[in-house]
Amino acid sequence: MSGLLHFSEHTLQEAALIFMAIVYTLRLRWLLRFKAGRERQAPTGLPETSKARGIIYSWANIAMPWAMESTRTKVFVYVQFVVFHLGVAASIALSFIIPYVPKLLELSFFVRIFQIIIGTAFLVGILRIIRRVKSVYLRAISAPDDYFSLALLTSWFFLAFLSVPNSTAGGEWHLIAFFLLTAFFLIYVPFSKISHYLYYPFARYYFGKTMGHRGVYPIKHFPEIRR
Amino acid sequence: MSDSPARSQKAQKVLERFAKKLNRQMVGSLLACVHCGMCTDACHYVLANPGDPTFAPAYKADQVRRIFKRHFDWTGRVFPWWVKAKSVYSDDDLEQLKDIIFGKCTNCRRCSINCPMGVDFATFNRMARGLLVSVGVMPEGVAVASKDQWELGNQMGVLREDYLETLDWVSEELRQELGDPNAGIPIDVMNCDVVYAINPREIKYDPRTIADAAKIFHLAGENWTMPSEGWDMTNFGLFSGDDDLGGAVARRLYDKVEELRGKKLVISECGHGYRSTRCEGQNWGGVDVDFEMESSVITMLRYIKEGRIRIDPFKNNKSYTYHDSCNNARSCGLFEEPRELLQIVCNDFREMYPNRAENYCCTGGGGAMSMSEYSAQRLKSAKIKADQLKATGAKVVVTSCHNCVDGLTDLIRYYKLGMEVMQLVNLVANAAIVKEKVTAALP
Repeated sequence: MSGLLHFSEHTLQEAALIFMAIVYTLRLRWLLRFKAGRERQAPTGLPETSKARGIIYSWANIAMPWAMESTRTKVFVYVQFVVFHLGVAASIALSFIIPYVPKLLELSFFVRIFQIIIGTAFLVGILRIIRRVKSVYLRAISAPDDYFSLALLTSWFFLAFLSVPNSTAGGEWHLIAFFLLTAFFLIYVPFSKISHYLYYPFARYYFGKTMGHRGVYPIKHFPEIRR
Repeated sequence: MSDSPARSQKAQKVLERFAKKLNRQMVGSLLACVHCGMCTDACHYVLANPGDPTFAPAYKADQVRRIFKRHFDWTGRVFPWWVKAKSVYSDDDLEQLKDIIFGKCTNCRRCSINCPMGVDFATFNRMARGLLVSVGVMPEGVAVASKDQWELGNQMGVLREDYLETLDWVSEELRQELGDPNAGIPIDVMNCDVVYAINPREIKYDPRTIADAAKIFHLAGENWTMPSEGWDMTNFGLFSGDDDLGGAVARRLYDKVEELRGKKLVISECGHGYRSTRCEGQNWGGVDVDFEMESSVITMLRYIKEGRIRIDPFKNNKSYTYHDSCNNARSCGLFEEPRELLQIVCNDFREMYPNRAENYCCTGGGGAMSMSEYSAQRLKSAKIKADQLKATGAKVVVTSCHNCVDGLTDLIRYYKLGMEVMQLVNLVANAAIVKEKVTAALP
């Protein structure tokens, strides 16, 4: 292993992680400085709804494609979402496995699974780029950050796919590129749309709390019809 | 929008107030959007205007979000072009924003429940409306209705004498109809079990609903009253985003109920009135109330279940469908009770799809009926609702909202659907059995 690869895998990643943790802490502190609105009214709606159930339902919503019309009617887009995010999780895991538990990557089964997940996520990334460029609706709402973040993640998947076997037989460039890009992500993410996962629990918590208190969440689907 | 660095006084005030209006929920919604576009097809404006991205919820939300990003978000403050952050500078910028947040959205919340991230666009769209209203930028109809509600205590400018006179002749007709000299509308009676508050539209255009409600209360033997003042349960603050107006209007009604020492406030069938009075008023007004509040839909259903009124469903012999008001269904969870009631008072109920919390707006929501400058746009978007109505094959669409009555009537006329619009109170009063005229009874 060259000194550059070692630096990329360890020192650089650790510094970038510490940077991200500090920025996220500051961001959360900033967010919590805003006062949470209070609902004074008595609850409305059916007895099986409540604030707590609303919050849980709201958080779980993303795992229930049938719960929202938008995901129910666009199954292919939903599947893409799942694959893409599995790819993110696998690539993040890979950035820790290679430097800290490389023995895992000696198992061919493990390598195959990771390559399938990350490879499919790469293809989804390509599809998502095409969709964002092609759809008049998505173009209208997209900022440079949207295109850049998506292109960056897709490139990252490609490098992660190559890096899964953790082999330097053909050179180290792919591993160095993967870790350099990972470090760049850790620094860039808090300032980009990719940080949505930080806000997601907040947005969903408060929306679920409101809708639960008002008797809307959990939504009851497929109502019985009187004929 | 202009890029000029010089900022108008109104734009400056909007920015100053923006900071004060932000709370954690709103900031979460403003930050969380990933521009995935999943909300696009949830909006009736988009469906009726295919190919025009300016109607897409995320696009509309971004017109508010970019101001937030430019002034509050790290990246937006340093590299605004990177995240499309942009401030407001001129009065023209505010006018353009007005046409989007008032003219292209009814705050129906359908995109909110379809957002995978939980972005509640309707909530911060209302906040943005309030910011514009605070500097006098709003559709004329919103200004007129708000002024009437501030100055006269109701949004339709009904004078006290007209209100009382209407209740008087409604009482007289009710006495004649029932042949009972004790029937009528009690005014300002202390210590009643029920204080009934209405929409001024009922006085001005639809006193039939007051007569029907009075008949039901009388047949149920209710100890009830209507207030002589502070009787308007609607609240234009919900539409205009003006929390001060919202709080003042709500407090006026709460104070009256407390003054009369009423045990329960019953709110006539009105989506925005129910939401404002029952769900939002206390938050806007910063007050807690000691008495109960309920929709008249729940009251009527309870009377039937308790056997206080009996029903002959054969008196309502047409085919009926039910339109969920957005405010009732998506913001207050009132969607099962109206269906239960409707299925008791008629024999031919046909469900509309989608329904309940997924129902489409009547297109008259969010104060749209008062914004005549956007009527053509509103009626075009009503095609979605019209198709929904038509698919039911029903002759009558029932709704628990006065705003929806107007919105639906308008679109039914425009799309020549030949349907009738009614409220549950009309059907219950019509099916209510008076004296021995019993043909069927429900438990």
